[in-house]
Amino acid sequence: MIQSIAQKEFVSTLRDRRFVVLSVLVLGLLLAATLVGRASYRTLQRERTVAQQTVNDQFHHQPNRHPHRVAHYGSFAFRPKSGLSFLDAGLDSFTGASVFLEAHQQNSVNFSQAQQSGSLIRFGELTVAFVLQLLVPLLIIFLCFSAFTEERETGTLKLLLSQGVSLRQVAWGKIVGYGRAVALVVGPALALAAWLLFGEEEFGNNPDLWVRLALFGASYVVYFFLFIVGSVVVSAWQQHARTALVTLLGCWMLGCIILPKATANLGANLFPTITKAQMDAAVHEEAQKGINGHDPQDKRTALLKENLLKKYGVTSEKELPVSVGGLVMAESEAYTSQVYQQHFADLTRTYERQNALSTWAGLLNPYQAIRPLSIGLAGSDFAHYVHFQQAAEDYRYQLVQRLNALQASMGYGDKERKLDAATWRAIPTFAYHAPPLSWALGYLLVPALALLLWAVGLSWLGLKVIDKTPIA
Amino acid sequence: MTYILEAKDLRKQYPDKLALQGLNLQIEAGEVFCLLGQNGAGKSTTINLFLGFVQPTAGAAYINGLEVASNALRIKQYLAYIPENVMLYPHLTGLENLALFSSLAGFKYKESELLAYLAQAGLPVEAVQRRVGTYSKGMRQKVGIAIAVAKHAKVLLLDEPTSGLDPKASNEFSELLRQLSQQGTAVFMATHDIFRAKEVGTRVGIMREGELVDVRPTALLNANELEQLYLHYMH
Amino acid sequence: MRVFWILFTAEWRHFKAARGLVLLTSLVLLVGLYGIYYGTTEIGRQRQHLAELPALAHHNVEELKTKFPEPADAGEIGYYHTTFAVHHPTPWASLSLGQRDVNPYYVKLRLLGLQGQLYASENVNPAKVLSGNFDLAFVLVYLFPLLIIALSFNLLSSEKEQGILPLLLAQPVSAALVVGAKLAFRLALVLGLALVLSGVAMLWARVPLDGRVGLWLALVMLYCLFWFGLAFLVTGLQRNSAFNAVALVGLWLVLVVLVPGLLNVYVSAARPVPQGIELTVKQREEIHGGWDKPKTETMNRFFALYPQWRDTTTIKEHFVWRWYYAFQHLGDQSVQPLAVAYTDGLRQRYELVNRLNWLSPAINAQTSLNALAGTDLPTHLAFQRSATRYHDTLRAFYYPYLFRQVAFTHADYAKEPTHTFTSSSEISTTIRGLGKLLVSLGVVYAAGLLLFRARPINPR
Repeated sequence: MIQSIAQKEFVSTLRDRRFVVLSVLVLGLLLAATLVGRASYRTLQRERTVAQQTVNDQFHHQPNRHPHRVAHYGSFAFRPKSGLSFLDAGLDSFTGASVFLEAHQQNSVNFSQAQQSGSLIRFGELTVAFVLQLLVPLLIIFLCFSAFTEERETGTLKLLLSQGVSLRQVAWGKIVGYGRAVALVVGPALALAAWLLFGEEEFGNNPDLWVRLALFGASYVVYFFLFIVGSVVVSAWQQHARTALVTLLGCWMLGCIILPKATANLGANLFPTITKAQMDAAVHEEAQKGINGHDPQDKRTALLKENLLKKYGVTSEKELPVSVGGLVMAESEAYTSQVYQQHFADLTRTYERQNALSTWAGLLNPYQAIRPLSIGLAGSDFAHYVHFQQAAEDYRYQLVQRLNALQASMGYGDKERKLDAATWRAIPTFAYHAPPLSWALGYLLVPALALLLWAVGLSWLGLKVIDKTPIA
Repeated sequence: MTYILEAKDLRKQYPDKLALQGLNLQIEAGEVFCLLGQNGAGKSTTINLFLGFVQPTAGAAYINGLEVASNALRIKQYLAYIPENVMLYPHLTGLENLALFSSLAGFKYKESELLAYLAQAGLPVEAVQRRVGTYSKGMRQKVGIAIAVAKHAKVLLLDEPTSGLDPKASNEFSELLRQLSQQGTAVFMATHDIFRAKEVGTRVGIMREGELVDVRPTALLNANELEQLYLHYMH
Repeated sequence: MRVFWILFTAEWRHFKAARGLVLLTSLVLLVGLYGIYYGTTEIGRQRQHLAELPALAHHNVEELKTKFPEPADAGEIGYYHTTFAVHHPTPWASLSLGQRDVNPYYVKLRLLGLQGQLYASENVNPAKVLSGNFDLAFVLVYLFPLLIIALSFNLLSSEKEQGILPLLLAQPVSAALVVGAKLAFRLALVLGLALVLSGVAMLWARVPLDGRVGLWLALVMLYCLFWFGLAFLVTGLQRNSAFNAVALVGLWLVLVVLVPGLLNVYVSAARPVPQGIELTVKQREEIHGGWDKPKTETMNRFFALYPQWRDTTTIKEHFVWRWYYAFQHLGDQSVQPLAVAYTDGLRQRYELVNRLNWLSPAINAQTSLNALAGTDLPTHLAFQRSATRYHDTLRAFYYPYLFRQVAFTHADYAKEPTHTFTSSSEISTTIRGLGKLLVSLGVVYAAGLLLFRARPINPR
């Protein structure tokens, strides 16, 4: 019986010109967004790969230099785009793409796309996720707002029920039927995305990416299911199609536009971010004077020298087999880095607190549950960004310490000498490996649970509402 | 014995008005019971109570011996319902609408059988494959009849079925009701139309302000007497 | 006129009775006030951060004074001393934050090559900037159209659906008057709300009372009128309420969501910006190449640019600061064409958007409001130019110490130039936007009138 009703809704929908026009529009947008996303992904990826290759080559082809010069020459880390980011660019446009890695300081990740465009970008980017998260729900609302109201207004509901069908069966039939119609719109785009991915050699046999894509699709299935159930329930609950439509559109605006912005802004107001200038000053201060004012740098340096002389049993630096400069540099880098890591962790924590408001709002608002889920699976969320920053910093630290060690091994008077060009070719370059899905799962737990909770809660509550729907 | 249709002290109280006060009624197979009354007299409420669309405040309605309120789904297999204005799914054809409703009632008809039902109800052949959105009220009514007939129900619940039909269609409808009642189907019909009631009914009931004030077999009355009786109760 | 007032007051009574609409209007009012609160606190925070910078710079100077006792080498000071180029907002920025959260509002500068420092970004939470700013401009540009749609989607259709219209038109009233009174009531309500919110925001942000107040109000009024025009146009189609709602929300979607999104794609493709990163990579190469080149070659290239220092002593030492700063500057010089191409590219993108913003009055209104508040790309580029000039004056300040080998005394810190830059409104952009908005308005109302002329109101 549910099948018969589902079939009727599906056929009616396909024969409804308004819906056909809207779906073709949405499908066209989805396909266009997939292709545009793919093209821009490739351009950015190529640019970054080429740039990374260039700076790596430049690093390896340095002439004879003193290692500390090389540490200042430094290198760049470019953030590769994650495989699925063409479906959901997430934070990518608002985070920088590259960071300069040098001795003594941790630089910001610069040149975000948002900085390279005017305020137009703030209207939102036309990505697949954008269409799926905002436009498909609208399509669903337009499709379902009259699901029950119309049947009640015309009286077909009575006729249906007189045939021995229950209200629940009618509701499920409608949900299944509308679900099929929506699948018809969204399916081709996801298939195209999968096909595009399959065509890429690097992704063809990357199971991690496939699981991500599968979960990505599954999350959206749940998300659309929510909207279909919600719309059908509202349609059963409201007396008139007009009020059902206004209610649903109101919910859409509140959930998809107002709340996400308001919670993000409120989070930033509640947990203020420290400025880069303040943070740099604090890191510098603590590195100089020591954490908590204990062991300032001069003292640490003096102690280091003293211990060295003692260790090698000599009385002056000249007699040491190692370069004091290099070791002091290494100690200072280690200390500063430790200080920086603390401050960076604080900053990240501040951001996480700011974002937590949004994440928990997912329990109130399915849009704020699908968004973190979607960008998390696409690898374009905050956690993946921090992972990159951390990887770049780790590489920077290891690179600088390696160079400091080289300097230390040069012995006294190293400043007057240089190391052979071949030395640099032996140093590994920065290669970023995006974290696997298992790493990201922890961040996706709350939104995934929120979405499932919504699905179960809404179905349960919805059926109760539907049972109480007045028929006559 | 079990009656096809029975009401025991059936009462319906809405927040603002008493729609039905203690209805007692029994209808047997083959009977055509016509319920007369003004707008708001409680006729539609009575039908909605028999359909289980409205819950009684007190008393009970029975269909084929089953209490309606506690067997809302099971009783549907015994009844067929035709509303005053049959509305169907405009994007489906007449044939598809009939197929849908029959399948919901648990019947799997072949297309030829469905076409036969539509023809029996008097739907023009050329209209069968057109979408219902293009149908006139009378054509929709005919599909409604086909749906009811295809269900082979023991009782037919009709709410003002002939209002708005042209005289020819009305006569065809009366003829169909007579055939069905001869085959043993019970008919319960709410109507304003005294003459139609006299013509097809075996019994008439007169309802006023939620109360069944009189029930008579039509055989004992002519149309004029029935009209006089009706007007008597209305004043 | 009397009839008009009767209809007008009847509308007011209908509105009061419709709880949902009253709720919605109050919600928009509250959301607008929140937008004002958020905008002013955000700008307040930026102001506070900017106010804290001199203390950081001062602290840095104190540290240097102990680290480098008099007489100090100006080269060391230039290397370790950090100053800030600061970008102060206009009071209007609170009303329309634009890109002020994405673009850094100060730059930390040392005497080193500028290009390696100019593009440093500020600590921003990317998740927050992705969600965007909840300022008054957002409420006006994004949400007001939705309020207008909610108020007007059933302008005539609800009367028609309830069967009141034939009764109404059976009275000696013209259909035009009925539509006019209904529209006028909603206009008064929405424009009143926009005025109140704008007034509150202006008082709160303490904007100077000049022509910009008029410009802001004119922009907001015209923008609201445009959406009423669309509602009027859709009413002219004389379809049912559900159709009107779908059509109007569809128009909103197209103008506020789709056109901006598509335009963004088109503009990035049509005006590719040379990669900013290329510039910093090349500058690094130049600067570090400087260490390995013969000093005289470097100095001669530098003297060609600054002949006034040509007569300074030739360098024999292994390392001197003036040579170091010379190749730092040459590094900047070498990427000059790239830097110009980069900012030009950004500018061209912005201009292309401005040229095409007639496609959507929402983009037009947003860019015009941002231009008025001085919070968009051109202002940021102006700030970067100003910071570049500041870097020039810093170099000009230090060069005499470096080339004439004058000792740097502690008193000299106070003589160091400082920087300040305050955004200014881009009035011409705003006025152009206003003109285009006026044209869009004219087109919509003309179409609406034509439609009503062609198809007189059918009460059924």
